[in-house]
Amino acid sequence: MRRSLVPLLFFAVSPAAAQSVVTSTAPDSVSVSAFRDPGRGEGGEIDLDSLEGFALISEQRTIDLPAGESVLRFEGVAEGMVAVSAIVTGLPGGVVQKNRDTALLSPASLLDGSLGNRVHLRRTNRATGKVTEEDAFIRSGPDGAVVLRTAAGYEALRCSGLPETLTYDGVPKGLTAKPTLSVTTRSPNAQRVTVTLTYLSTGFDWASNYVARVAGDGKTLDLFAWLTVANSNGESFADANLSALAGTLNIEQDFDELVEPPPQPQLRLSCFPTGSGRYGIPPPPPPPPPPPAPMAGYDEIIVTAQRREAKLMEAPMAITVVDTAQLEDLGDLKLYRVPMRVTVAANAQKQVALLVKDKVPFRTVYRLRTCPTCEPKNESTEIVLRMENKESGNLGIPLPSGQVAVFEPALGEELLAGEGAMRDHAVGETVNLVIGESSQVLVTADNYYAPGKEGDDYRLTVTNANRFAVALELGFEIDDLKRVDSRLRKLPRKDGLPTWIVTVPANSSRTLDYRVKD
Amino acid sequence: MRALTVTCFLALALGAGPAAAQDPAAGSAQGELSVTIYNGGQSLVQDIRQIGFPAGRSRQEFPDVSAQIRPQTVSFSAAGTAIVEQNFDYDLLSPNALMQKAVGEMVTLLRINPATGGETRERAKVLAVNGGVVLDNGGRIEILRDDGLPVRVIFDKIPPNLRAKPTLSITVESKSAGTRPATLSYLTGGLGWSADYVSLYDEKAGTIDVQGWVTLTNNTGTTFDRARTLLVAGTPSAAGMASYGGSYRPRAMPPGELRRAGTETAPREQLGDYYLYPLAERTTIANAQTKQVSFLDVAKVPAQKIYEYTVGGFDNMTEPASAASVIKFNSSAQGGLGDALPAGTVRFYQRDLRGDPQFIGESRIGHTPMGSELGLKTGDAFDVKVKATVVSRERRSDRIWRSSMSYLLTNARPQPVTVDLVQRGLDWYWDDTRIITESQKSERLDSDGTKWRVTVPANGEATITATFETRY
Repeated sequence: MRRSLVPLLFFAVSPAAAQSVVTSTAPDSVSVSAFRDPGRGEGGEIDLDSLEGFALISEQRTIDLPAGESVLRFEGVAEGMVAVSAIVTGLPGGVVQKNRDTALLSPASLLDGSLGNRVHLRRTNRATGKVTEEDAFIRSGPDGAVVLRTAAGYEALRCSGLPETLTYDGVPKGLTAKPTLSVTTRSPNAQRVTVTLTYLSTGFDWASNYVARVAGDGKTLDLFAWLTVANSNGESFADANLSALAGTLNIEQDFDELVEPPPQPQLRLSCFPTGSGRYGIPPPPPPPPPPPAPMAGYDEIIVTAQRREAKLMEAPMAITVVDTAQLEDLGDLKLYRVPMRVTVAANAQKQVALLVKDKVPFRTVYRLRTCPTCEPKNESTEIVLRMENKESGNLGIPLPSGQVAVFEPALGEELLAGEGAMRDHAVGETVNLVIGESSQVLVTADNYYAPGKEGDDYRLTVTNANRFAVALELGFEIDDLKRVDSRLRKLPRKDGLPTWIVTVPANSSRTLDYRVKD
Repeated sequence: MRALTVTCFLALALGAGPAAAQDPAAGSAQGELSVTIYNGGQSLVQDIRQIGFPAGRSRQEFPDVSAQIRPQTVSFSAAGTAIVEQNFDYDLLSPNALMQKAVGEMVTLLRINPATGGETRERAKVLAVNGGVVLDNGGRIEILRDDGLPVRVIFDKIPPNLRAKPTLSITVESKSAGTRPATLSYLTGGLGWSADYVSLYDEKAGTIDVQGWVTLTNNTGTTFDRARTLLVAGTPSAAGMASYGGSYRPRAMPPGELRRAGTETAPREQLGDYYLYPLAERTTIANAQTKQVSFLDVAKVPAQKIYEYTVGGFDNMTEPASAASVIKFNSSAQGGLGDALPAGTVRFYQRDLRGDPQFIGESRIGHTPMGSELGLKTGDAFDVKVKATVVSRERRSDRIWRSSMSYLLTNARPQPVTVDLVQRGLDWYWDDTRIITESQKSERLDSDGTKWRVTVPANGEATITATFETRY
């Protein structure tokens, strides 16, 4: 008898009376660690229209806990929060349970949650403007239509042709404006605590953006990199500790799927048939006419080009920054810490300096990869900028993947001379950046006919129309080394390929003869 | 006008001090512009603006940059300043964004009675915006404009983050207060150029007059005012770089436009491998504008009209086929155009009997070095045709076949023409094809093809015969 009383008592007291709801609206301080889009190609750029990376967000929040069991609701978190990743620390009583509430307050859920309850039906008379309100009870769910019981009998909402709406006395329990994380905790006494909420969030991405400025002598360049971070969440993170992580993490689950709230009820009101019904369902109204086509403003101005005589004003492009990000090793990842507090705003991209390295020696190499029997015809060559990522090469730092813009002086200005994609480079690696293609250095191979030689002779010609000599590396993909003669077999290897390395003087050409047996 | 604006701004900035610089309205509009335009719709914009910096840290906004700016490519420099951070905010103001950000806030509802026009003013709290706006109107929960009656929603303020346009801002640390020129540079899409060539062919004299035009298109959504403009012939990007082809040999490849690559350097400024085409004067590049600028004008360049036909294999042709009309010329300093040719379309015109130029066809060229030989196809000739016939094919032994070919070339024009007849497929699938006999000596092009240059008399025909021996 006594034993059965205990649970009874528990049920009567515990859930409603003892559980108070504490809402924490905003953090006191926040840290954001951005991770790159794992699916982005090497050297790829951020796509501001769809950020596929993520971030680890850590927030400190001050909370006044009541004694006993309470539900702690966290508001103002990123809308891309991956709730299953959330960790709450700093609660004296620990976390009893963690919930993510995704039943959202919407017209449909409001109606659904009010089933059987008393609501108010408000009608407005269009002729007199008189507003009448009467009590009604909802008898049907939101699927399809709403049937109400009024003093007059049973009616269907908005089948009367009158402007009518329902108003409610309150919001049904458990509906929230946005997906919300809540935790249940038990505190021995009422106290003020600082809790840390840590979670992963989608809607972030970062990349590095390099600016390489070639010096006047064409032998060294000044390398500068921006750390570019973007946030497509609707929340801003003010005065945040920002860091970015480079490296490849294993990601098994699609975060976007975890973030997406389950489908919400939709409100669709359809009435019983009205009208005579003789002509079936009236056709939908015709679509609006297309907007007038914009007139292309063909305003033609003719200017005759000449060689510009005057030297242009020297436009200094050197980027001066207050401070650059600090690099830390975090296991097999690289962590770049922004040295000051910054605001990561909603729907915004931000750039802070990542690294500055001056006077980095480099070489420009022209490169083509072909096969012995491919017979390229006036094929353009890749322009490759080569640096050694070593201390001796004035570099020797981890280079995270990103786009590189190369500027060179010409006509007194610094002009974009090339753009390339940089992959992640560890210290010690050679950086080969393909920054463009040359139409001045072209490669042609002819399979020429020498009588009695069965047409196996090839002559490869490189032409250089530049007024400077160029270094060419022509790599051959060879399937069967036995088929090619020693002139190809004995070529030195470069990146695994037998490579003809030759300097083509200004305004001239060079040839390579070889034979391939069928 | 511009000078006036700048002066006003300076006075303002100096008078109000640091506070004015923090005010977004104080950002200067476009300054002295330099626009460098590349092929492929990419451009570099350099904008030198006069900015009044306060001492210490300040945030500078930059309105009137290209609407297609690539914000990650922005560079900024000004004497005595260092960059703290660069921001690009695109949280744009819209009715929906305004309502979303008002969740939990109070708004004013102004109801208008449909019959009387009477207005009722109420304060309500926005509870949620999920497929409809749920409002708490003094304890009564309702849905905004559920009954279709007019309700004005009046917001107290615009959240500070919401902006009219994407905004570029740079936070700098300045050593001293004062107005200084600051250089902003960035890359933008939507602004590109291509070359168009107008080529007037004089058949009697055997010459062409060529005008080269740069066609510049601005679809950025922004007008660049009085910009110093420089065009670069080249796409400084690794994107679109063709990978090496497979090892198979395509059958019967017609000759390309570029017959032999040149090794001469054009008398122009270069940026690495790219030629530069500066415009002599500052020009305004208006939005949605196409602008043409001349860069090449040469007359009386020797050009030869030739007809070309390539026979793919040793097959019968049941119908005669038209030969291609090709105009050949070179871009050499001696006896040619004397310039490098940026990629574009070459349109050929020829005068009719009245002396009016008529369009006779066009051909695309890639970036072509100076000193190159070009052969541009203008179309297929109406009057010049080729028909190939397999006269006999016999097996000589297990692995040897012999094919006798006859080619009939017909010319319905009242003057003699020259046809380059090419037989291909000599080394496509089988090896070591020999020419046993031929009625006219051919020129072996490579192991796969041989060429006869045939003169066909006016309103006449010519026949070429040849016997090939093939082993496989």
